[in-house]
Amino acid sequence: MTITPTDGTLKVMEKRFPLGEYGKQLWTREKAKEIRPQLQGMLQKLNAGETLVLDMRGVEVFDYSFANELFAKTLLTLPVDYPGRFLVVENLTTYTRENLEKTLESVGLAMIERKGKTLHLLGKLHPADQMTFDAVARAKEPVTAAELSSQLDVNLTAMNERLSKLARLGLVRREKGISPAGREQYLYAVLA
Amino acid sequence: MKLPDTSLSKLKLDAISFDTLLKRQNPFQSANRTFDLTGVQFIAPSALVQLAAACYCLGRDGRQTTILVDDEDVRTYLLRSGFVQVVQTVVRFQPHMSGMLTLTYDYIKGSNPLLIEVTKVQSGTELPDLLNRVVHVLRYRLRYKKNDAFDVAIAVSEICQNTFDHNTHASGFFAMQVYQKRFLEIGVADYGDGLATTLRRNPDNPQVASDREAIYQATQLGTSEFNDRTRGTGLYHLLEIAYKHQGSVNIRSGAAAMRFRMDKQQGWNFPVISMPGVQIALTLPTKVGA
Repeated sequence: MTITPTDGTLKVMEKRFPLGEYGKQLWTREKAKEIRPQLQGMLQKLNAGETLVLDMRGVEVFDYSFANELFAKTLLTLPVDYPGRFLVVENLTTYTRENLEKTLESVGLAMIERKGKTLHLLGKLHPADQMTFDAVARAKEPVTAAELSSQLDVNLTAMNERLSKLARLGLVRREKGISPAGREQYLYAVLA
Repeated sequence: MKLPDTSLSKLKLDAISFDTLLKRQNPFQSANRTFDLTGVQFIAPSALVQLAAACYCLGRDGRQTTILVDDEDVRTYLLRSGFVQVVQTVVRFQPHMSGMLTLTYDYIKGSNPLLIEVTKVQSGTELPDLLNRVVHVLRYRLRYKKNDAFDVAIAVSEICQNTFDHNTHASGFFAMQVYQKRFLEIGVADYGDGLATTLRRNPDNPQVASDREAIYQATQLGTSEFNDRTRGTGLYHLLEIAYKHQGSVNIRSGAAAMRFRMDKQQGWNFPVISMPGVQIALTLPTKVGA
């Protein structure tokens, strides 16, 4: 399989956004409105394939309005305004994870959480989507829908639907590649 | 001095009996702008903030409302709870609260009978300090576990933000107290547009035929004044938190009130005398000693 040159960007540097610098207790939509432009500013500077890590270290609590304004609004614009960029959350506590999950579920969104070297999804997703994401994340190289379809024993149409959904939510990156037979095809990857 | 109307004698004024008071005296529909609290022996935080919101609403035209209150314990309670200070520009107490009594407020403030006294919140920027106070009081006075205190503060936050997100010229009022060490009661009230008017501003919302429907719809996920996927979750999450802690929520808006509890999630509804704004009482079993 031939991989397009941009694949090299999949394993490049990541930037961090330490949310704890804004306080341990993050209250109100207004507070999030102050922070979001700075988060967007960092996303704007990323190249396709690069990752912004939202570091939650030190954050003890946020309310749902704050979470909706910061997390949900950013995730809604991510695939449209910053296609191919990843937003990953790290260092959640049990409490903040539970509340972030509820926020994402209530607006039908999902987000990548990284714990150590493991990636998983928070929010509202069908287990089949989670399984597909896990398979893409496990792959060492960008993979095609056909490869995943065979690996997970799912028909190709269903696999394409799952991958389109994950790409639409900004959870996997889709880019064009060339198959060994010389045909154009999509490749899917998650951050390194 | 003999004060009229003692029909509320020995009454505990709370989120529900406040409506009895309005039904009997209704200063919104009468030229007589008086709340007669004669005979009232106790006022819950939810009723204190409702009363404050009602007096501010009535005072929009610059006229004062009269509050008749004879019981010396209740008068002192109103003073110590911060109520008198919050409403002093819009209320005339009868008998008059003597200057000396109000001057002593600074000395007796430390004996405030509420966990958090009646507080007027005039803008959203005041909320973070109030919420940090809620957490602090629950953690260090009632020894709540951190996450339980956070849950309460989140609930308060979601209620209070509605006041400023959906109204341009209305303040909110807040108070918090524990009863008999068993229940934590939080009262939040405003005198803004109310839920029905707010929801009707969004043409994409289902038709809102009544205040009762407005309350019910406002507790459903995604119903908001704004066409924004990230809005319309506040009251939904408030109920979630109340259910998680086996509590109850009383929401009053316009001419309807609904009470929600884990075992009655569709809510009980009560027709009430119309009053502008939204008034919410959240009651949770305390975690004292937990």
